[in-house]
Amino acid sequence: MNLKETDLPGIGKKFVIATRSGDKLVIIVHDDGRRELYHFNHDDADESISMVTLDDDEARHISAIVGGITYKPKALETIEVALDDLIIEWYRIESGFKCIGLSIGELNVRQQSGATIIALIDPKKGKTINPGPDVVITEGTLLVALGERQHQKQLRQVLLNGGG
Amino acid sequence: MDHLIFEIGLAVALIAVGGFLSGKLKFSVVPFYILIGMAVGPHAGQIWHLDFRFIESAPLIEFMGRIGVLFLLFYLGLEFSIGRLIKSGKSIAVGGTIYIVINFTLGLLFGWGAGFPLQETLVVAGITTISSSAIVAKVLVDLKRTANPETEMILGIIMFEDVFLAVYISILSGLVLSGSTTLGGVLLSALLALGFMLTLLIVGRKAVPLLNKWLNVSSNELFALIIFALLFIIAGFSETIHVAEAIGALLVGLILAETEHVHRIERLIIPFRDFFGAIFFFSFGLTIDPLALGGALWYSLGAVIVTLIGNFIAGMIAGRSAGLSAKASSNIGLTIVSRGEFSIIVANLGKAGGLLPLIQPFAALYVLILAILGPLLTKESKHVYKLLNRIFKWEKRNRTEEKAALGDEPAG
Repeated sequence: MNLKETDLPGIGKKFVIATRSGDKLVIIVHDDGRRELYHFNHDDADESISMVTLDDDEARHISAIVGGITYKPKALETIEVALDDLIIEWYRIESGFKCIGLSIGELNVRQQSGATIIALIDPKKGKTINPGPDVVITEGTLLVALGERQHQKQLRQVLLNGGG
Repeated sequence: MDHLIFEIGLAVALIAVGGFLSGKLKFSVVPFYILIGMAVGPHAGQIWHLDFRFIESAPLIEFMGRIGVLFLLFYLGLEFSIGRLIKSGKSIAVGGTIYIVINFTLGLLFGWGAGFPLQETLVVAGITTISSSAIVAKVLVDLKRTANPETEMILGIIMFEDVFLAVYISILSGLVLSGSTTLGGVLLSALLALGFMLTLLIVGRKAVPLLNKWLNVSSNELFALIIFALLFIIAGFSETIHVAEAIGALLVGLILAETEHVHRIERLIIPFRDFFGAIFFFSFGLTIDPLALGGALWYSLGAVIVTLIGNFIAGMIAGRSAGLSAKASSNIGLTIVSRGEFSIIVANLGKAGGLLPLIQPFAALYVLILAILGPLLTKESKHVYKLLNRIFKWEKRNRTEEKAALGDEPAG
């Protein structure tokens, strides 16, 4: 994927994306909060074929759908956000995970994997940011962790198999 | 009897009608505000209480229009950043230079060819060179052109023109407003103007931390008072030393753009800019007597044709040199022909300097035509391009070039 970002003084910012599938997508983020998505045909780069205008709240909602946050594509194991070599990953704790019912301290997460759990999002109890060692992991929770790639791999094992 | 408030109310209502009509007809608002202003005024009649001559309120409307110019230029300064200009890349610098050189030269030649004296020629060249940033940006957004490849070049050229405008108006106001007749006197006042601008910018840059502290107030009322005080005092002081007040306002904007409160200032200013900006166009129309337009008609039409040709050629060269296709390049020239607020500001400078009265109706007709024609040409650029392509055959040549580059037989 090839991404180019330019300023449109007085209007906003422009992102031009040439996708692997051969399409050209242009996203304009207007300073007033609107977003416009333009689809260009690769044969004629001067004329967009179609476009969509979104308000700020619509755009945020759609970004969550596109980003796989609302629904995770079946083919992918996890969602991740990369910051250089640091990665933030989301893990959905599904039934059958051995870590269910154990606390973070019991699992010994940091020593076992090197990753840090930065948040637990429980559908029933709500968010716990920076959970302490005594917080118990429940089924259906979305667990957000920060670490390098091998740390995340280890953490996955810990969650699946319930610690060392 | 004092009907001042009622007259102002009537004026604003008329402007609102103009804005409503322009929205209905999907046109730029600028020509409508001017036309509404031209339709009324000293030559108009009086119907019962509704006095369309605006005699009592004329000075006040003119004053509000002046404030409108200050807000327009102040906002321009806020939005502008030197860093952005430097970052905008080589192709835009080349494109902007090409545009200014071609169109400013044509403007000077036109003024000289039409037999205007030197000062009037300089004013006419200013009027015909500067596009309307407001109309161009709005047309791009309205016509969903922001994603097009030529948009960066268009906005870059517009930014370039803004810089040119600032420098040019400051030199021109030194020339026209100083009233000195000797070359030495004129040079001295132009130097004084430039010196004042530079001093203000340097001092302003140094004062940014101080301004940050001053403006760090939670009360919106106090915040607005500080901003307005800065704006009016500096713009007003500029006027006393023969620097156009508009330039003073622009400089205040440039300085405040460096502070951390720039977004709060923008939010504060936008409604004022829109309201007083509308009154500015109306008040310009008010000074034009439609019956006196005849003398300027041929000059205006000539200038329009010169501008169309100059803009199109400049856009073509700028676009092609930046590696855009012929079609995208033709869009550049057809988009930046719109004229509006800046041409009128330059024309008003001529009026303030007591130049030929012909300048005002000339500018009015010229701006009216191009404020209407410009957005239309932008909208229909595809057809204009097709038409011109039949004559100049850019497309065919391109295909031949591409084929030749691929090693195929060129199509006959």
